[in-house]
Amino acid sequence: MENDRLEIARLYHRFGFGPRPGEFKAALVNGLNATKTALLSVPAVDLGATKVPEPNIINLGTRPAQKSSELIEFSIALRQQIKDLPLWWLDRMALSDHALTERMTWFWHGHWATAVGKLNHAYPMYLQNQTLRKYALGNFGEMTSAMLNDGALQFWLDGGENTAKSPNENLARELMELFVLGVNRYTETDVRELSRALTGYQIERSSGKVTINNRRFDPGVKTILGSSTNFNGNSAAAHLVTQNDCAKFIVERIWFRFISSQLPVESAAQLESAFTTRDTSKLITAITDSKILSNSNYTIVKAPVEWFIGVARFLDLTPSSLKTPGQLLAYLDKLAQVPFNPPNVGGWPTDESWLSSASAQTRIQFASWLIKQADLTNLAAIEPNKRIAWLQDELGILAFSGRTRLALNGVKTNPAQLLQLAICSPEYVVSA
Amino acid sequence: MDTLSRRKFLQLSGAAAVGAAAPLLTMENIAHAARTRPLPLGTPILIMVTLYGGNDGLNTVVPYTDPLYFSLRPDISYAPDKVLKLDDQLGLNPAMTGIKTMWDQQKVAIVRGVGYPKPDRSHFTSMAIWQSGAPVSRLSSGWLGRWVESQALDPMLAISLGSVLPPLLAGDKRSGSALPLGGLVIPTGTFAKDCQKLAKATSSDNKLMAAAATSMRTLFSVSNTITPVLKMPAPVADDLPTVNGGNAGGDSNLAQQLDVVAKLIAAGSPTRVWSVSLGGFDTHANEANAQAALLGTVSAALSRFASQMKNTPRGKDIVTMVYSEFGRRVQGNASQGTDHGTAGPVFLIGDRVKGGFYGDQPSLSKLTNGDLAVTTDFRDIYAAVLEDVLKSPAESVLSGWTSKGQYF
Repeated sequence: MENDRLEIARLYHRFGFGPRPGEFKAALVNGLNATKTALLSVPAVDLGATKVPEPNIINLGTRPAQKSSELIEFSIALRQQIKDLPLWWLDRMALSDHALTERMTWFWHGHWATAVGKLNHAYPMYLQNQTLRKYALGNFGEMTSAMLNDGALQFWLDGGENTAKSPNENLARELMELFVLGVNRYTETDVRELSRALTGYQIERSSGKVTINNRRFDPGVKTILGSSTNFNGNSAAAHLVTQNDCAKFIVERIWFRFISSQLPVESAAQLESAFTTRDTSKLITAITDSKILSNSNYTIVKAPVEWFIGVARFLDLTPSSLKTPGQLLAYLDKLAQVPFNPPNVGGWPTDESWLSSASAQTRIQFASWLIKQADLTNLAAIEPNKRIAWLQDELGILAFSGRTRLALNGVKTNPAQLLQLAICSPEYVVSA
Repeated sequence: MDTLSRRKFLQLSGAAAVGAAAPLLTMENIAHAARTRPLPLGTPILIMVTLYGGNDGLNTVVPYTDPLYFSLRPDISYAPDKVLKLDDQLGLNPAMTGIKTMWDQQKVAIVRGVGYPKPDRSHFTSMAIWQSGAPVSRLSSGWLGRWVESQALDPMLAISLGSVLPPLLAGDKRSGSALPLGGLVIPTGTFAKDCQKLAKATSSDNKLMAAAATSMRTLFSVSNTITPVLKMPAPVADDLPTVNGGNAGGDSNLAQQLDVVAKLIAAGSPTRVWSVSLGGFDTHANEANAQAALLGTVSAALSRFASQMKNTPRGKDIVTMVYSEFGRRVQGNASQGTDHGTAGPVFLIGDRVKGGFYGDQPSLSKLTNGDLAVTTDFRDIYAAVLEDVLKSPAESVLSGWTSKGQYF
């Protein structure tokens, strides 16, 4: 029964957000293949996700003038929406039955890293999140085309300011460097030419509506990565996606976030060929089918949101129902990761960046706050001497070390403290 | 670039340091060191101020008599009567009054046209090059990280403010330390003892689990006698909202970071290098107001810092260096902003600095692909900082680079 424990633990923690009560033990019995099939089969309806009501996030319209009487009401509504948006998504992550879809949506959010602060409207960010979910396991070319027409991304990278008369390179550069090809896989001339192809977009800030203004579009011939034609945004993006470097780059980025941000890609050619059609689900399947999953060198630190959702799933907590949700967002902010608010267009950092002593301190307090709001009946019902082994299986941990067993043993008669130490232990914070 | 170095740059694109894991310090650690083994008086102290996002050099040190400046940037130029005149050709951005005062006291060196060969316009790559100090060999360690490795082991030697260590202070085997802002509340009592057990190293730990265990260890190394002023949690207010240009990293609370640095220097922390940062300089659109607000913040924070240090015995020991990953394109874009460019000015500030201009002002009539030519290699400045401020040989840290500027 203990065969494939590492692989199954990784499927749960990296391709999902950690097991719910009983899930990991059942998966060990069912075996690796059955667990993998369940993970990769997207259900027609996700009953868990349907329990999360859609948030009340609407287009608030143009910001009223300074000192006008409508401004206060507008600001209150906006602030509420900007708070509701991450809570809604955290609920989906915690309650979805098919965790891979949310996990991939989360990956793509860090990939097309857009923060709400500059836009200062929640509605277009909500639309972007739906786009990311729609294509989460779909075709990357279609996703790129959809993102190019995404108001939140366009606004974030000054797309609306990019005109034939005077190109603004922000979007073009990041499209090549951070979204599709990777750094140094293009020339400065390619950046300038691509920015010409991306001219003409106009964005309505509050609705995120993107339109093309032909008078601002540069209709001339552009030479991008060796091809010359009168590219526009969609054809130029499609051209980028067909490059071999696109497969290389997406493989690298998925590797970086799911397998290891420390060690280089293994079996790159094999993974790139799985991505020939730009079908993301095929790439994920290729990774989970390969020996990569059983290579014990590929450890990775859970990012704060991943850690929190893992705990919430285990404890059956609904993030927006915690008291108070504002405190939840404050904890995540202290850990430097709030959904819809990446630190920069490169996305969140990885691994050691999450392991400062300040983060360790916050994690201990955060864990205590969560545990106080949870029902620990199941844990309390277990005989104290069996609790550590029980937690190891329930949390989906490969193996607690002797060090951690010793620490847990000291508090085994106190379920709350036992759990607090277990979820703050290096074996839970790091995915083995 | 080969696969390995590309990977390294991808790691850098996460804006965190690679290589050796950074020790995380608490205020208590530093306060204890300051009391027990203060830095000898007269030891020079370096403050690195990193401006993330690519600061527009031409609107920082403005060529206010050059007609090309006005014709190339009709929407975003500063009128001659607005700039703070430094000589008959160049003036500071109007928001930089504090730095202008220090300039008038001969305490500011402005090195013009600073950059490196074959400029890269990616934020992440260019910042990695500046911080590595190795534009040719593209090392993954930072130049001050390599300096840290050349010194005797001391976690207090080089400290970055904020919980994420910049590549600047990362060495291959040893790194500078990071000091998170804000007070820490440490668990106490028997539960603290149980927490501490989790912090022990164990042979079954892989590298990351060992780092996770270490992160808990520093929580409990508390000294009992702490200078009360250091124990106060630092204020958390941002200097200003970063509305524009806010998507290329960096912190937003420079004044707060410098406040903490000032306190720790005054207390005698045995630290010779401090690193602070401000983000938001990626001004692709509506640049004038955003950049002026940011430069005003830098200027005000630095002059406040100088005045805090002035009456302490260490005030005259401090040298501050201000830099950014690149300047911006000479010609403005249609959005009253500028795109990524190349060379920019570097500021050196302090009593030990010989004030004035250094390096040639890049000519607006001889642009390379619309960009300013680089007239000073940043390694000239690094070499001077290493040898004349940190009193260490520069060649080994800078991969054999030998030329240096005479700014001190």
